[in-house]
Amino acid sequence: MKYIPKKIPEGINVTSRHPLLNFAYLLGTVVAVSIFIFVVLGFVAEWLVIRVSPETETQIGDMLVQPALDKEITDDKRIQYIEELLNSLLIPGETTRLPLQVHLINNDVINAAITVGGHVLVHTALLETVKSENELALVLGHELGHFQAHDPLKSLGRSLVFLTVSSILGVGMSQSGGLPKIIPLTSELTNLNYSRIQERAADIYGFNRVVKHYGHGGHSLDFFERLAKGESKLQKVSQYFLTHPLSQDRINDLNAEAAKQGWKMEEEVTPLPQWLHCSNMKPCEQAE
Amino acid sequence: MDALVQILFFVVLLILGYFWGRYFEKRHYKSILRREKKTLNIPIVNFGAKQSLIDVQEAALFAGSVVISIDYFKMISAAFRNLVGGRVTVYESLLDRGRREALLRMKEDAIKWGANQILNVRLETATIGGSSGNNSGPGSIEVIAYGTGVK
Repeated sequence: MKYIPKKIPEGINVTSRHPLLNFAYLLGTVVAVSIFIFVVLGFVAEWLVIRVSPETETQIGDMLVQPALDKEITDDKRIQYIEELLNSLLIPGETTRLPLQVHLINNDVINAAITVGGHVLVHTALLETVKSENELALVLGHELGHFQAHDPLKSLGRSLVFLTVSSILGVGMSQSGGLPKIIPLTSELTNLNYSRIQERAADIYGFNRVVKHYGHGGHSLDFFERLAKGESKLQKVSQYFLTHPLSQDRINDLNAEAAKQGWKMEEEVTPLPQWLHCSNMKPCEQAE
Repeated sequence: MDALVQILFFVVLLILGYFWGRYFEKRHYKSILRREKKTLNIPIVNFGAKQSLIDVQEAALFAGSVVISIDYFKMISAAFRNLVGGRVTVYESLLDRGRREALLRMKEDAIKWGANQILNVRLETATIGGSSGNNSGPGSIEVIAYGTGVK
């Protein structure tokens, strides 16, 4: 048998699909599916999480709040003052599903937060920065709004979903170098968008309660306005306030709400108790 | 900001991987085609394992092996493919190049020795690093071609 060399045919084992086209298809599919899964599971988690019993919520809250209580100030009259102010914001007949506990934290970052289980964290820097009770009331009202809307629980539920989904995906891709970063990121962005809606709702809630309490909304926005203008003396504004949409938008929204509801915005300011920035509200040297 | 840096890093690596990978692949294919044409006169066949061989004066083993690494672009494409399923087309050209290069190296070695044909040719592959080991870096593939050269 004689061997006759023939030209080797090309392209038998290589699919002639452009790699970029292939990549675009894959990227699109993965991103779309991951957003879809995250959104759907996120809603499922929220649906489930607001059905958690108050006892369970207390247990979860006690566990979660522990690390934040490192520099907690106890036995301080200011706590009582904040608690009273917070409770006065509830309209008669309105209850919280758990008693709210105020924790005063010695921290020079301006911040206030509410966590699962009704733990209200107030940083001392916030007390040093607010200039009237109306301002403080709006911040507390905002946190109260979050609590009443189950926001801390919802966000916990969402983070659990997020962790679960990304760890499942992470297992599938442990062999793939830098890839996993992309998937968590897409869900993070959805999360941020979602939290803005919650922020707005909490703003409106807080503002509403402030108006109900004082009979007007005047001066309550001053604190946000000072922060938005960067006028606060303490430059260490926490990430919390930075990520919250407290820009001029937020203030405008509240002003628009006031105009819509016919709330008065020009009324007398309610002063803060003297020495709020001092321990136990006893006179101290610290200049504001 | 952190996320932005990560994304930027990822995109830069992806673009670099794509263009570098394409460039080397094109160059490699050019060389493969040229050398295949040049060595076409020597037949390579995979028969001979249990058959009686043709009358030859001399026979010797020849092996050609090559290691090719994937680029970042291929790696990411394939990782996405792992999630979606289907044909991993980006790896096809990689393996194709590996097989042909290994065969060519074996063939060229045999031609130098004076073979007029190569019998009982076998191909084997192995992965190095990457998914075969515990580290998650880009993997490489080794293709070994071996056969009996006769003259």
